[in-house]
Amino acid sequence: MTQPNELIQQFQAGDQKSFSRLYTMYSEALFGIIYSVVHEETTSEEVLQDTFIKIWDNRESYDIDKGRFFTWMLNIARNTAIDKTRSKDYKNSRKNLHPENFVDIFETTDSLNRKTNTIGIKKFIDVLKPVCKKLIDLLIFKGFTHKDAAKEMDIPLGTLKTKNRACLKELRTVVLR
Amino acid sequence: MTAEELRESGLLELYVSGSLSAEEKREVEEHLREHPELIREVEEIETSIISLAESLSPALPALIWSSIVEHIGGIRTLPKEDTSTNWGAITGWAAAILCIAGIFWMLNKNNSLRDSLQKSVTETTVLQEEKDAIQSDLVEAEEVLSIIRSKDFREVTLPGNQAVAPSAYAKVYFNKKDKKAYIDATGLPTPPKGKVYQVWSLTMEPLTPISMGLLDNLETSPQKLYEFEELPETEAFGITLEPEGGSETPTLEQLYTLGQVQP
Repeated sequence: MTQPNELIQQFQAGDQKSFSRLYTMYSEALFGIIYSVVHEETTSEEVLQDTFIKIWDNRESYDIDKGRFFTWMLNIARNTAIDKTRSKDYKNSRKNLHPENFVDIFETTDSLNRKTNTIGIKKFIDVLKPVCKKLIDLLIFKGFTHKDAAKEMDIPLGTLKTKNRACLKELRTVVLR
Repeated sequence: MTAEELRESGLLELYVSGSLSAEEKREVEEHLREHPELIREVEEIETSIISLAESLSPALPALIWSSIVEHIGGIRTLPKEDTSTNWGAITGWAAAILCIAGIFWMLNKNNSLRDSLQKSVTETTVLQEEKDAIQSDLVEAEEVLSIIRSKDFREVTLPGNQAVAPSAYAKVYFNKKDKKAYIDATGLPTPPKGKVYQVWSLTMEPLTPISMGLLDNLETSPQKLYEFEELPETEAFGITLEPEGGSETPTLEQLYTLGQVQP
């Protein structure tokens, strides 16, 4: 998807209408990220709301020449969600649950989005190698740097790069088919 | 780094997922500027990650957007805890309301003043017209009076006919030389509707009545004074009540007054 730079600039100038359109474009993706981290719908909704309030408040700190707008929002969403999972209330409420990752979402949630090619993506995840599942979880959903992820998985940095590329290439063939 | 090397390096994927250090990110940016054809590669990686994330999103309640808008100040609601009385604002509003009420009162007053002024102007006009009418009546009366007083005019009183109208009378002032006559009808009762008084000039032997004319609009005439010209040779004056428009010959049963001219 081409980045809507004009819309982004209007939003950065404080135009709420543009912000509303950006919300329409990106809110579901960010909600999916947040939900994959938080695993609880009501809390995820709170986190999504907080995320977009931060996006609005910090709109001037984004630089179109430095990085993707989606990546900038992704960072805000991930950090807000991870902060939430570290709060006392959240920990208490989920004490007895196993740590989960994005793969479990397909098994445990009924009300999933039907807009995108969910069935195709589910099939993709089903046949995904465990190393891919781990890499995508850490790099995309948990916000690890590639160095931290390599350390966590105990693999060389070069291997991580090529493996990650291979995993996402498969995803692309499913999504862009 | 060539475009192909950059594509295969795996750095673009890490760039989109935000997994690079600040310095590595800057390097990728530079390479992308050199190889803008790779922007498409970046966009595809981004689209696939967005699709994956969207496929994991539960149904999104519409309420979230409205509470975001509320938070960023799109819709401002008054804070509930602020219940202390703002006397400044209340005074201001009260003053504004009083001021507006005052303006309306004055507008209203102004309108009614304008109305009464209009009415006064109309009344003045009416009075002026009445005054003019009276003035002209007066001039006319004086004119008549001066004529009647002149030595050329003779006065004849026509007493009421005992049988028809004993209390009625009329006065005739006539000038034989100028063949002019004035009849003062003040002593005649108001004629019934559809009837009119007719004045006759009479010669006695043989009795010949000649109509002089009608006393039209007697009840509304201010002076009740009628002028007649081309007076014929006359020995007596009579006034009868006739149907509207007058008659060819006098209805003698309705003779109200009759008076002879002394030779």
